[in-house]
Amino acid sequence: MRSADYKAPGGKLVRVRLNEENGEILSLRLSGDFFLVPEENLGKLEKMLIGAPLREPELQMLVDRFFNATRVQSLGVTRDDLVKALLAAREGAGH
Amino acid sequence: MEEAIPRIVGEGNAPNTVRFWHNSNTIVLGCFQMAEQEVNFQACKETGTKVVRRFTGGGAVYHDHGNLNYAISLKRGHPLVPIDDLQSVFRKLSEGAVQGLRTLGVKAEFQPINDIQVDGKKVSGAAGSIRWGTVFHHGCLLVSSNLSILGRVLNVPQVKLADKHVASVQKRVTTIRDELGRNISTREVREAMIGGMEDSYGVVLEEGDLSRDELALADRLFESKYNLPEWNLERED
Repeated sequence: MRSADYKAPGGKLVRVRLNEENGEILSLRLSGDFFLVPEENLGKLEKMLIGAPLREPELQMLVDRFFNATRVQSLGVTRDDLVKALLAAREGAGH
Repeated sequence: MEEAIPRIVGEGNAPNTVRFWHNSNTIVLGCFQMAEQEVNFQACKETGTKVVRRFTGGGAVYHDHGNLNYAISLKRGHPLVPIDDLQSVFRKLSEGAVQGLRTLGVKAEFQPINDIQVDGKKVSGAAGSIRWGTVFHHGCLLVSSNLSILGRVLNVPQVKLADKHVASVQKRVTTIRDELGRNISTREVREAMIGGMEDSYGVVLEEGDLSRDELALADRLFESKYNLPEWNLERED
């Protein structure tokens, strides 16, 4: 289990808990005190990221794809913050 | 009730609504939070504090009888919130509460993203959503809440406190009673909130009862969602 608590500058906290194998995400939980509407979309983002390599270009592309496809609105956390939080979890020790 | 009203308002089967209410000791988690990270369950047990999850994002708040909650449900497209932008919604729909606090003599200011502060201390937090055809905004006001229980039952991450340059959650929050230096009832605050909203928004609020549809839907949501640990503790969605 890898984890990171990432505080978006001027924004909210994103907590990442994930399991990875060979640098790919096996399972993932995103939580925190940010806003994302409509709310049920967070589960879609988690599903989209399963199997993704923990590398910035791929994560950025998937997060962008999620925002473009779902037209969600986030507040307190940006697309870049989500990518940074995931990359922080790559380095993060298990809990 | 909190979810039933915006759903029925969005269907066009209830008027735009402001609801005031309060709870006994309860932690209300934001919908994306993990209970085990935010809640000190031992302190909850000792103080008789329940844990529930709301359908909106944002952070955990502590409610007790010294707390006044308000919820505003406006049908989407309402002239007060013409754009579907959550930050604008928070700003606009906090104005009434800020105005209400000022009429009581509290120097309140909206602090983005979603707080109302007095001299840098939080007195109210808000959350909201845009869904079911409704723009929804709710906030809780610390009137005379027990801040020592609040400080015990909530695990506030150090990374958040450090960012706000305070050592504990208790130093970051205040109550209306403490700011005024006198006892004040939630009823008095509610009257001030009504006045603040009427002045800020140029509306007249009329007292009304919940409809049979709203009550029936609230019962169904309680049974299928808000009374279940799968929702309250696990965010099963």
